[in-house]
Amino acid sequence: MHVEPFTDRNVSEQSAYYYVDIENYPVTGWDKFKQVVKRSIKGELFVGLWVVMRELIKFDIHTVQYPKEKLPIGPRYRAVHKLLRLWESGFERCIGCGLCEKICISDCIRMDTRIDENSRKEVTEYSINLGRCIFCGYCAEVCPELAIVHGDRYENASEQRAHFVIKDDMLTPLDFLTSGQQKEYPGFGAITPHEDERVAKTPLAY
Amino acid sequence: MINFIINNQPVSAAKGETILQAARKAGFYIPTMCYLEKTKPCASCRLCVVEANTTDGLILSCQTPPTEGLEVTLDSDRLQLERTNIMRMYDVNHPLECGVCDKSGACDLQNKTLEFNIDKQHFTAKEQPRKIEHWGLINYDPSLCILCEKCVHVCNEIIGDDAITLQFGGYKSAVIPKNNDKLDCTFCGECIAVCPVGALVSSDFQYKANSWELTPVPAACAHCSAGCSLTYEVKHTSIATGDEERIYRVTNNFEYATLCGAGRFGFDFDVQGQKEPEVFEKAVSALQDAKAIRFSSIITNEEAMILQRLKEKLGIKLFNEEARAYQSFMNAYGSISGKSTFSGTLDAIAQSDAIIILGGRITTDNPGVRYAMTTAARHNGAKIIYMHPLEDALLQNTVTQFIKYEAGAEEGVMAMLAKTLLSDADLSDEFRSFFNELDEGYLCAESNVGDEEFARIEKSLRRTKRKTLVIGSDVLNHNRAQNIARLAALVETYTDFSLIVIPQNVNTVGVSLICDLDRDEEIESVVGYNAKGDFVIASSIGSDLVVPALNSQEGTFVSMNHQLLPTNVAIAFKGYCLNDLGNALGLRMVNTIDYTQQLPKEKGFNATAFDHLGNFYGSLGEDNRGYLLETQDVDANGKLESVESLPEFNGTVIYRCNPVNQFNSYTARTAQLERDSALRGSAQFAAAARISDGDTVEIQSNGSIEVRTFVLDNTLKGTIALSPTFDTEFGVINESYRFEKIKIVRVGS
Repeated sequence: MHVEPFTDRNVSEQSAYYYVDIENYPVTGWDKFKQVVKRSIKGELFVGLWVVMRELIKFDIHTVQYPKEKLPIGPRYRAVHKLLRLWESGFERCIGCGLCEKICISDCIRMDTRIDENSRKEVTEYSINLGRCIFCGYCAEVCPELAIVHGDRYENASEQRAHFVIKDDMLTPLDFLTSGQQKEYPGFGAITPHEDERVAKTPLAY
Repeated sequence: MINFIINNQPVSAAKGETILQAARKAGFYIPTMCYLEKTKPCASCRLCVVEANTTDGLILSCQTPPTEGLEVTLDSDRLQLERTNIMRMYDVNHPLECGVCDKSGACDLQNKTLEFNIDKQHFTAKEQPRKIEHWGLINYDPSLCILCEKCVHVCNEIIGDDAITLQFGGYKSAVIPKNNDKLDCTFCGECIAVCPVGALVSSDFQYKANSWELTPVPAACAHCSAGCSLTYEVKHTSIATGDEERIYRVTNNFEYATLCGAGRFGFDFDVQGQKEPEVFEKAVSALQDAKAIRFSSIITNEEAMILQRLKEKLGIKLFNEEARAYQSFMNAYGSISGKSTFSGTLDAIAQSDAIIILGGRITTDNPGVRYAMTTAARHNGAKIIYMHPLEDALLQNTVTQFIKYEAGAEEGVMAMLAKTLLSDADLSDEFRSFFNELDEGYLCAESNVGDEEFARIEKSLRRTKRKTLVIGSDVLNHNRAQNIARLAALVETYTDFSLIVIPQNVNTVGVSLICDLDRDEEIESVVGYNAKGDFVIASSIGSDLVVPALNSQEGTFVSMNHQLLPTNVAIAFKGYCLNDLGNALGLRMVNTIDYTQQLPKEKGFNATAFDHLGNFYGSLGEDNRGYLLETQDVDANGKLESVESLPEFNGTVIYRCNPVNQFNSYTARTAQLERDSALRGSAQFAAAARISDGDTVEIQSNGSIEVRTFVLDNTLKGTIALSPTFDTEFGVINESYRFEKIKIVRVGS
């Protein structure tokens, strides 16, 4: 189809636009009654019902059988958060910098930190109030360590409106890590491809 | 005034001002990393370089005063390159741990790195092995240190501890404790405050919170009468909902103000209470039945006002011996000087070039005065004459002349001192004859201060211009305090000395101005308000009704400078406060701070509402905290009394004196401050009392008995031992003369 017939938006011989043929509105009571009856008991309803019936009998189902079946979700989908561990050492990636807490626009992240025995910062508690979280992804985006990411758990049905996830819920269990089941998410906050080329290296001339 | 030109604009500088100061006053921006307004220029960062028409090289604006007609350029490509290169050097191998660093978000290095757009490391240096040091309340990470020397300068010039120094060694340089392996200082924490990076941090605070998470609450320190400005920084205590807040740390405007360790580390003295109507009813009826209220001066002006109103309403008495002593001292002072308050302030001390301190252990009584004195000594080369029965090891680098007198001899010493200072003054015959009639031989012999010492004072005061006489709090409770006050007033009136008296507690001055105090007597049914009584209303657990501590209260104090200082609520209090009691007893006021406007105008207060009081320093150091009380004229009809024979303190004598950073029961219950409650004495004292180091001893005085451990202290001399008061109930501050003859019994070892 060419575009030209549609450029002139006036209804004319040249243009592709035309007026829909609309019957005049019924004026008298009798005419209105006739219109209602005609529309109500026309067989169109059964045409549609027959299509459903036919497919039902053929068992040719096109919908996904959730919860038995689940569609794969996109890598940039923002579901419930996960806290990841470092692959080599198994230490938590989170350094407790507090940027996610700061950037969170619905103010639903809180953490407790302390100095540990090795004079390092340790995150003792970490919680997200999912009742308030709007899953905007800022926390994952601001995280300098790729520690907090949006995972793929999107089933949040709960008896309570305010449902919290705490550190233990989100942190990769160690056996998961060792069996290689921790996933990296290329979604929000992940390093972009060719990042290495953009980083200037510190000179090490000694 | 010196007129010169900055960036083609005319600027004028006062005499003694540097280019940097003049430029900042005129609104120009010069970046610095090591500059501190209150110290001499460190001149270590070299960021403040400017160009001048008189020389080809770059000059350091922080230490160069302008000359008439000088043309200064603050920004050129050459300067920008110079500064950028300096910043590049600062960033060499600086650990990229901003993510965990306490300073992140409030870091000078971070700010300047972004300002100069340093995003790469151009230079290389082999990193040195550097160990994180743990110095008690302070942690030091040398790899974060940029060697700006601010900490060393404040420690030496302002605090006077001189405890840290720079170990020079090129790239290996670091801050180290001076002449010691471990840091041995008074732990004021000022080095933490001035550190522009996260090298020096509070060990308690480290890694607990980020600077942006903390809510700042501007307040005034509640521990001593200096009323230093501080900011409580508050945050939630846990991830749980409905959790309480707590104070995480205290910061201060280190550019213009100084804070001691008690203010900085002793912040967690708050208590929490509940609204229990039965307990409240009991308190109301106790007040109704009371004949008197005994209270401490560790309260706000508004609370003092409520107590005064209650006194008027219920016809009861108000007991506060410590404030009463100050009140009568100031009345006696006014009877000679003709004005209600003295002229001296802490700033005046800091700017003096001669300071005489009589009767008070400054370092522990009032660190604010000590810091002002150190500043005067280091910046103006001030002559500092310290008169006290006990030498103070902490002042040995500051004091130029120490005069030891016998305990109790303050009146005689003051009379002799006044005679020395007033020798050339144009006195009335009456006063002149008082001095002529002094029995100098007796006074010198009994006070143990020789003629030659006063002659030396006179000699060292020659050619000094700004002089301050500091009267310590020993004197306030002396039997002859009023006569000493008159003599001090005479010195202030007839010489160019300014006078400052050191009250004991945070609001002694306010209480003495607001309340009509009665002589304390042992009567029945006394309600104690932060003091002992038959029914105790106090901000401590275990009292009959718990009321908020001073970090949970809005209100005002009057500092020793006679400045009204507002303070704010850091931790919300859930129970009842004095205003609730006042309202239950018929006073009508919605909030405690509604009393701020009603503080007595005849005493110099003005009718500013609490919410209109400022509580900050301006960008050039203008003190915008509260307001200064107006000095009132009073009748000058006082007469000097002849000096009484000096009392004798023989045998075992103790001096009521708290250790560094401890002041009262509030500081005693804070987590970080060391609680040294030992009786400290010299070997001579131990011999006289027949006790030895580590003994448990019973101190019997005036019917009361205290049990303490005796610690032999080699820094002390003489036969007077130091006995603390902060650890007693309500930390009873000296309501009587601080030197006391006691009986000491060894009860164990």
